[in-house]
This record gives sequence, structure tokens and C-alpha cells, in this order.
Amino acid sequence: MGTISSAFSLMSQALDADQAALNIVANNVANANTTGYTEETATWSENQPIRIDGVSYGAGATETGATSLRDSVLEARLDQQQQLASASSSRLTALDSIQALFTPDSGSSTSTAGDISTDITSFFSSLSKLEASPTNVSDRQAVLAAAKTLAGDISSAASSLNTQKTSLDEEAAGTTSQVNSLTSAIAQLNQQIQSSSPTSDAGTLEDQRDEDVSKLSQLVGINQVTTENNGLSITTTSGQLLVSEGTSYQLTTGTVDGVTDFFVGNTNITSQLATGGGSLGGYLTARDVDIPNTLSSLDQLAYSLSTAVNTQNNAGTDLDGDNGNAGDIFSASTQVAGSAAAMSVVMTDPNHIAAAGSGDGTGDSSNATAMADLANQSIVNGETPTNFYSNFVSALGSTVSGVETENTAQSASVTQLQTQISSLSGVNLNDEASSMTTLERSYQAASQVFSMLNTIMASALNLGDQTTVA
Amino acid sequence: MERMGERRRQPQMKELVVEASRALARLDADRLEELALSCQALNRALPPASPEDGRALVAEARDAAGEMAVFARVLEATRANISVMNRLRELRAGRVEYGGQPGVRCFRTESGHGDN
Repeated sequence: MGTISSAFSLMSQALDADQAALNIVANNVANANTTGYTEETATWSENQPIRIDGVSYGAGATETGATSLRDSVLEARLDQQQQLASASSSRLTALDSIQALFTPDSGSSTSTAGDISTDITSFFSSLSKLEASPTNVSDRQAVLAAAKTLAGDISSAASSLNTQKTSLDEEAAGTTSQVNSLTSAIAQLNQQIQSSSPTSDAGTLEDQRDEDVSKLSQLVGINQVTTENNGLSITTTSGQLLVSEGTSYQLTTGTVDGVTDFFVGNTNITSQLATGGGSLGGYLTARDVDIPNTLSSLDQLAYSLSTAVNTQNNAGTDLDGDNGNAGDIFSASTQVAGSAAAMSVVMTDPNHIAAAGSGDGTGDSSNATAMADLANQSIVNGETPTNFYSNFVSALGSTVSGVETENTAQSASVTQLQTQISSLSGVNLNDEASSMTTLERSYQAASQVFSMLNTIMASALNLGDQTTVA
Repeated sequence: MERMGERRRQPQMKELVVEASRALARLDADRLEELALSCQALNRALPPASPEDGRALVAEARDAAGEMAVFARVLEATRANISVMNRLRELRAGRVEYGGQPGVRCFRTESGHGDN
């Protein structure tokens, strides 16, 4: 029916539709700085055409709602990279503290764990000095003083490491409540989304869920599984269910062998969480791998050095004439584990240092020479004490450097993905193609830079074997 | 008297590498292309004119080794991100079915760096 009112109706619908679309744009602008907000775009449906005098006229379009411009693949990739970056970041913080412990503090007048290398050298130097004057009491006292400094620095390093372990344990345990509140929130949002928008994008509800999932992935390594009716299930990277649509499964803690372990139901998932990612993964790796490895090396040093020195002292004759029974200089450990924390000097009388050889007079110094020579013998895991310590510190530095590299690269990857997400939020296929072009151009140019720098570096390091790129 | 060009400081190789990593993180294609041209020029200038320059280059190369490792990792992660973006583009273009049906939405965690 062709009437003026039809034409008015058509115009009025067009204006209403434009106004609704403008409202969506206004909503986007208003939320431009809202964390986690996903831009919405208007969806339109064509109205039934109007027939006027047998001629069909288009009847415009009606705005039927808004759809969020959500890129689930890209967001999942971002979550994944964020959980890796979070893990390496929290591990790196812990490793930096460990490394700082073994870094000499040139400004400090008191001896610290960072001086262990110097302590080892000073202890054996004091024994060398005793060779020249085996009966000199002040030289004997100097040996005990150097031994006390060495034992004190090793035991204080072990004590600091144990304190760091406790602190990491507390931080890891503290993460549990955050994980549980996020999984509960995600389960509730799942219920709301599934009941309100089972077949279409749920807008802000999905934004909130994405935001919570993103926060969760920074705490623990997770996999996300989309389910029917816009639902979402979440598992740990090892497959332990944390959220199944409207139900969440709480992470609980318990003390096992003096540290906090993590459970879902009755299943202990601590080791899976350690390798899974997120800040919890980083804390647990530092607590269960890095600190135990460092303590183990320190224990080995303390045990081997104490045992070798004590054995040699008991093989000589002390100033009181005791032959083969002079006693221990360092506390004797029966096992390697715990030796560093327990290391101390038990000898109080400097006369009991057995400088003389077995059966020789007290003026002899052959056993002092033998004790000083321990500095050059492979008494700690096949290495000299100084080399063992130096290699241990180098290995620690190398671990720190490796984790630093990973963390920098993962953070760069997160930045790239965030750039991509923000450039795609006003999405259309042309924008997307342009965004991909920038990504690929950047990669190609960077590959060229890398290739050329690599060639230049190889040329330099090979002293000119290879010079220019053809 | 010094000319303008001589006063300008020659950037250390380490700085070039760090800047390339940063530019790649920001996806600054223009800057990366400029850096590629700089590297071409640097490469053409080899071998060093004097033994002193050669020793300086060796020292610079050693100094930049750590930053090159970071750069290599960022490149790897970028390649992985490109592959994700390509999948996304295919998805948008409707060439693959993905995400419409219930299924795994997130890949498993990588072994420390992006390469899937």
C-alpha cells in the first residue's frame, strides 16, 4: 500500500536505526578506557520492502542489536603468552634475589655470602701462612678466624635461601584465594551468559568473563574449552578441571614435607602447576627447583670442604702433641643435605690445629702444608673448592640470564598481541588485512636485521673468516 | 674542525639489537626497515679498516650476544603470532571452521617460547 505514511515510516525507521547505532558508538566511546571492554558494532536487518503502485521500494533497515568485536583466537593466544610471561617474571624476581645473595658487596665492611669465594681463598692462605710458623699462636688464631668467616658466610647464605623459600611458599599459597575467587566468578558468569545469550555474544558479560580469564591465566597456566550455549570450561594445562560451565572447583592447600602443596579434590597438582605457567608456576619453580638446586650446591661445598679439612687435621699432630686425634675444625655433617645451614667452626683452642705431620714434632708443618694444598685438590665433586664455587655462581648467572631472555621475549610477544587486538577492535576485513601487512612487514624487516647482524657478529667472532653478505 | 657527520655518535651493535627488538615488539615496520638499511650499510663497511677497529668490532659482537638471543626469541614469538593471525584471518574469511562448535579454544602452553 503506497501512502505518504509509509514513506514517513521508512524515514522514521531509518532515523531510529541511526540513533540506535549512534548509541552503540557512544557506548564504545564512553568505555574506551574501560579495561577489558570489547568494542561493539551495530547489527542491522533489512525491513520488508514497501510496494507503491506495484513498485517495490526498499524499506530501510532496523538496528537489531550489538555484537562485540571479539577475537577469541587472538585473545586465547594473548592469555597463553601472558601466562608464560607471568611465570618467567615471578621466577626472575626470585632468581634475582638469589643471585644478589652471591654478589660481592664492595661497599660493605662485614663479610656476607657474596664473599664466599674470597673466604675460601683467605682460609687456605691462612693455612699457608701457618706453614712458615707452625707454633705461632696468632697465626693459628688467624686460621680459626678465617674458618669462622667462611662457615658463617656459607651458613648465612643457606639461611637466607631458606627464608626466600618460605617467602615464596607464602606467596604461592596466597595465590590460591585469588584463583578461587576468579574461578567462582567465571562459573557465575557462565551461568548468566548461558541463560541470557546462549546463541549470541553476551557483550559486557563476556567482557567480564574474558577479563577474569585473563587475570586467571596470569596466576596459573590454563586451557579454555568453549562449550555449548556460549559456556566455557577451564582446566589447568595438565587437564585438571577448574571450571565446568556453571561449576567451579576450588584449589586447596596442604603442607607436605614442610612446604605448601596444591590440590583439586584429593589430587595433588603442585608439580603440574609448577610447569604450567602463570605467576604461581614461577613461584613454584623458584621454590621447588631453583632454590633447592642452589642449596644443594652450597651443601656440597660445605660438606666436602669440612670433611676434607677435618680428615686432614685428624691426620696430623697438634701443638699439645695429640697425634691423629686433634679433633675437627668444622662441625662434622653425616650427610650432604643441610650441611651448609649447619656449617660452623667447632674448634675453640687454636693449639688443636694439627700443623705437624703424624709422629713428627710439634714444630713440624707438613700437615699444615697438606691442609693448604687442599685448595688445589679436586675435593668438591671433582673440582677444587674455588672452581666449584665459581662454576656454581656462573651456572646461577646463566639460569638468570636465560629466564631474563625468555621474559623479555614473552613480554614483547604480549605487546605485539595487544597492539594487534587494539588495531583490530574497529574491525573490518580491510583493517585486518592492513594489520596483517604491518605484522608481516615488521617480521620480514626484523628477519633481515637479524640475519645481517648475525652475519656481522659471526664475521667479527670468526676474526674475519666471513665478511659481507653477497 | 669536526664536521657534523663525524660528531654523530656511532651506535653500538648492542644498541641496534635492543632497538630492533623493541621496534619488533611495537610492530614498528618503518623503523625496522630503516634498521635493515643501516645493517646493510654496516655490513658493506666490513672488514674493519684497522686492527683496532677489528678488535672493537669483536668486543661489540661479544657484548651484544645476550641481546641477540632476546631478539631471536622475539622473532620466534612474532612468527608464532603471525601464524595465529593467519588462522584468525582464515576464520574470518570463512575458509576454516573454528570456534563455531564447542572445542578447545586455547592451545597448550608452549615449552617456554612461541612456536606453534
